[in-house]
Amino acid sequence: MSETATVTENGKSADPFRVVVFADFVCPYSFLAVDQIDRLAREYEVQPLWRPHWLHPDTPPEGSPREADSAGRRERLHAWVKEMAPDQYPRIHFPEKRQYSFLAFEALEFARARGVDFEFKTAVYDLMWTEEGDIGDPATLMAAAERAGIDASDLEIALSEHIYAQSAVDAVNQARALGITNTPTIILGRTRINGWHYYEVLQSVMEQQGARPRAALAN
Amino acid sequence: MQHYIVDAAQVPWKRSASEGVGFACQVLLSGDDGGPEALRFRFDDCPSVYAHMHLTPQFQLLLNGAMDFPRGVKHLEALAIHYTDHNMPYGPFAVSGSHEMLVLHPRAGGIISMANVEARRKINLRGRLFASLASDSEWQPLPGAEPSVFKLLMPPDLGPAAVVVRAPAHAAMSMPAAEFGRYEVVLEGAVIIQGQELGPPGFRYVRGHEPVEPLMTGEAGASVAFLSFDRDANEGGITGEALAVEAAAAMARAI
Repeated sequence: MSETATVTENGKSADPFRVVVFADFVCPYSFLAVDQIDRLAREYEVQPLWRPHWLHPDTPPEGSPREADSAGRRERLHAWVKEMAPDQYPRIHFPEKRQYSFLAFEALEFARARGVDFEFKTAVYDLMWTEEGDIGDPATLMAAAERAGIDASDLEIALSEHIYAQSAVDAVNQARALGITNTPTIILGRTRINGWHYYEVLQSVMEQQGARPRAALAN
Repeated sequence: MQHYIVDAAQVPWKRSASEGVGFACQVLLSGDDGGPEALRFRFDDCPSVYAHMHLTPQFQLLLNGAMDFPRGVKHLEALAIHYTDHNMPYGPFAVSGSHEMLVLHPRAGGIISMANVEARRKINLRGRLFASLASDSEWQPLPGAEPSVFKLLMPPDLGPAAVVVRAPAHAAMSMPAAEFGRYEVVLEGAVIIQGQELGPPGFRYVRGHEPVEPLMTGEAGASVAFLSFDRDANEGGITGEALAVEAAAAMARAI
């Protein structure tokens, strides 16, 4: 019933600087987290890992019409994003339909096997949320592959033959096994943040666990 | 021991605005004496009341209209409760439908917009937030006091508690001591306290280690919301810190 993020401690991580984000490309709050996590990677000695949390497994590959959202509900979502992410709001295009995520999860596994999943996920989010791309369409994912510097034709083959489908299923199941229910869920060391939160909160959580910004380390 | 009785009908209304959001407001308890702070608001319809937090825990008791929180797709319609611990941000949210609510703090809580970057560094990372609609809960018989009934608006193990009790005429509503403070808000009918009759949304606030005298229902019976804080009531507040000073000033400007 919460409308804001909650924060919990798991106390199990030996590495306080592990950063893992469970997210779905179709989630607007996950898109808003991309800039934050990319900034975190620039400002701290961390290598964030993005893993899938499949929000709508019932969505068919061609996508599905949005639920009968009232105009008021859509207006409120726009108002929320406009206030919470004023820099990003002007460039966001909210999709007209609910898109199919799983093909993008397969592609993310493909990119991960080549060590460029971090760059690839940013490209996918940008294509979907700022350039009206359909992530259920292999062409969109191939465009993302090119931006991440990997061979788009190899990705096309991998997607058509579903070479990384099992790996994507395993990743989705891992999120379920961990009890992930929010998108994004951000794990910073021993702390789990359930839902989008302010960048300053991510900083506070990092620094409470002893992480220091690169700039401070350089000094 | 803190003990306050407020007849909302006796308090003047004032028009005001905060960050462009218009509203009418009653200051029912100012908190200036170190005691509780209670406000009654009627917001104009607005798609986005700015994200903010208060420096004390808070019950919002939605008496009329609706509040919508886009994240979590939470739609609150009166009668509903929205609870936050101290320094726990919420919003932005929409208000509509002849909105009216009580904002109830154990002490002066101030208000800080989350546009304030320094405030974001003071967020209570372990803070609790809970919201529920009265219509989602069923009435249950009040053991030993039939035909009185009650419904829980918050899980009994959460810490802070919210329960609505409905009792017939001339019934005594007894509650245990309120160590961390409790608002007792009349929702329907009337209660009599120390010879004074209170109608909606009048209330009593009590805080102390001893039980207080029961509320007595009037001729037509009464429904009363009992809203109890837990130990988070001892946290935060208007201290001498810069952020707290700013929060107090912002609240003073708003109301």
